[in-house]
Amino acid sequence: MEQAATVSGFLTPQGTRVPFFSQAAGFAALWPRVEPLLTEVLERGKYSHGPLVGAFEQALAQWTGARHVVGVNSGTDALVLLLRAAGLTPDAEVVVPAFSFVASASSVVLAGGRPVFADVDPLTYAMDPDATAAAVTRRTRALMPAHLFCQTADLGALSEVAERYALTLLEDSAEAIGMRWDGVHAGLVGAGGVLSFFPTKTLGALGDAGAILTDDDRIAETAAALRHHGRFGRTVDDFPAINTESAVPGLNSKMDDFQAAILLAKLGTLDADIARRAELALRYTERLAGCPGVRRLPTVVRRDVPSNPVFYVYLVEVDHRDALVRHLTAYGVETEVYYPTPLPLQPCFADLGHRRGEFPRAEHACAHAVALPLYPDLADDDLDRVCDLVRAFYGGGGA
Amino acid sequence: MKLPFFPPDLFADEHAELLDTVRRIGTDPAQRFILGERTAAFEAALREHTGAADVVACSSGTSGLILVLRAMDVGPGDEVVVPAFGCAPLAASVIAVGATPVFADVHPWTMTVEPYEVEQAVSGRTAALMPAHMFSVMADMPAMRELANRHDVRLVEDSAVAQGGVLDGIPAGRWGEAGVFSFVQVKTFGTVGEGGVVITDDPELGRLARMLRNHGQPPGRRFEHHLVGYNSRFDEITADVQLRRLPGLAARLARRADIADYYTARFQEVVERGVQPPPPGREGRCHYVYSLLAERRDDLRAHLAERGIGSHVYYPTPLPAQQAFAPYARAGRHWPHAELACARTLALPIHPHLTDAEVEAVADAVCSFPGGAR
Repeated sequence: MEQAATVSGFLTPQGTRVPFFSQAAGFAALWPRVEPLLTEVLERGKYSHGPLVGAFEQALAQWTGARHVVGVNSGTDALVLLLRAAGLTPDAEVVVPAFSFVASASSVVLAGGRPVFADVDPLTYAMDPDATAAAVTRRTRALMPAHLFCQTADLGALSEVAERYALTLLEDSAEAIGMRWDGVHAGLVGAGGVLSFFPTKTLGALGDAGAILTDDDRIAETAAALRHHGRFGRTVDDFPAINTESAVPGLNSKMDDFQAAILLAKLGTLDADIARRAELALRYTERLAGCPGVRRLPTVVRRDVPSNPVFYVYLVEVDHRDALVRHLTAYGVETEVYYPTPLPLQPCFADLGHRRGEFPRAEHACAHAVALPLYPDLADDDLDRVCDLVRAFYGGGGA
Repeated sequence: MKLPFFPPDLFADEHAELLDTVRRIGTDPAQRFILGERTAAFEAALREHTGAADVVACSSGTSGLILVLRAMDVGPGDEVVVPAFGCAPLAASVIAVGATPVFADVHPWTMTVEPYEVEQAVSGRTAALMPAHMFSVMADMPAMRELANRHDVRLVEDSAVAQGGVLDGIPAGRWGEAGVFSFVQVKTFGTVGEGGVVITDDPELGRLARMLRNHGQPPGRRFEHHLVGYNSRFDEITADVQLRRLPGLAARLARRADIADYYTARFQEVVERGVQPPPPGREGRCHYVYSLLAERRDDLRAHLAERGIGSHVYYPTPLPAQQAFAPYARAGRHWPHAELACARTLALPIHPHLTDAEVEAVADAVCSFPGGAR
């Protein structure tokens, strides 16, 4: 199969790299908006947990409709602080997806609880409501579905499960900026959620940053204290707060003001960026539809209520996935395998004793899924080239 | 005169360079923003600077302590002996890994942990000792090392404040099996955001800290999680800034030491009025914070404020008396020297870009304090 591509004549010259992610051109274009905000950081003189962090939190609260936004050092930290602020008691169980980034489960351990895995839905890759209900035990305190790639989990059904067993619904909405369920932003359907601003995210910083979203005053107040060594009261943009006594054992998870300034500037183009991502996703789908070897294109599931998909990742399921990845790499096209191993089978969770075969849908996704380049800077021509290479690999001919 | 304790103009001469750093990294074709080549170069530069076998850049000094404790496999059921006086992470990092902090009292003048108090706090469950360097004085590390050896427990050095300090020829951070530095802006090697490093001569601790800082992934093995790890990484913007500022660090530390020497010489005259400067000298010293011990601390603070001089009270409450840590304090134990330090400590501005005139004005203001009995 790899032979087919190398002999086909339509390939653009080697060396035209299509990176998995770049925001270089977009950042250069945005610089006139970034620079004054960075200058404000320099003039105010507080470089973390400062005035720009406060301004970004406010702007993001407005954009998402969250009552509270708590800026922290990363999406992972946001999950840990959210779980702790939501009152997770030691050894309490939290049901999490078997297919996700590791933080969906490691955050539970870091917050002192125990992750219990549920298999995922084959279309949304999010925690399946029936599997979730089956994973509930007497020790379960919370459900924490993850919204992956382009759409939320079935929040209607998961809310029902949470209600039936009197559990707290938290959302690993790290990837889900812009996604909404019946008009409510991801992370706010349950008691609270998070956002990650890892650079490749739909809203990405130039370093690590994250936030907690919640409408719950108490969760917000506790999470805000936990990020600053357990100190309650105002700490943002307040140097002397470093001598306030610790009311609860906390962490240091403050956001840098440079990152907040960059995020604040990027928030201004977020709607346009999301629209561009949708346009690119549609173009992929048009060009890859019917391609032999491509088993599944992203499928946005229709819900009973309005739900806004946002294409953070364009994920396809394919035959001979690893060979396709090598083929694309050889032609300078970078991809990512989200995620190669089900979480229950990761070495760090070996003590939970899970075996292959227990989470078949997660295992299927891990074996076949691959993410193609998708970001506002991606040129249509480059996207077309990726599709041509995929088609060529499977012997489907060029576009 | 208006001299804030926390200077807002730390990088006043570097605005153009700082903007250039962000623009350059944001538009760099490599588009690598976290744990990239600049971070690796920064780690290498600090290895050379300190002579340590490994330096692992992470998100903060606090996080560095957690990475070290986890790398040493300190966890539930273990105790860690920490000072009763100091910053919250001393206790919180221990709690974060599931272990129990045991508080030991400090020396009344240096405010670093007392070896005999540490020895008393050691029990059969002690897994580690974690002394901290305080303000401008390194802890009694030879005694700590001897205690750790004798009781066969690990030695973690909270050297977050002490970069550049040297005791008996050994740099701060290298007395313990592992130490940390913090780069939050107020520190001696402060930067434009949060950041820290783990510093160690033990390659195995370095290897584990490296995995733990990035979700338990071994180097180059993406999405393979061998340990339940953290997101505690270093970004390329901060690394670029720190690489550029490292060559100037020695001069900034020397300026701090000069200011401290000047203050301490001037303040001999106020000792009889109840204002005690820190010990003189440069051996085992790090001039992060210049803290006085004043009988009438709040009056002195007001006296300085009237003259436009900002000061700061680190730390008004002993750790075991804080709500977060009181549940871990052993019943019937007291930390009288920590309480005394909390009541008397007052820090003066000592940042390196203070002018001689400003330093003199601070000293004049302290020396004009009438003092007297509390």
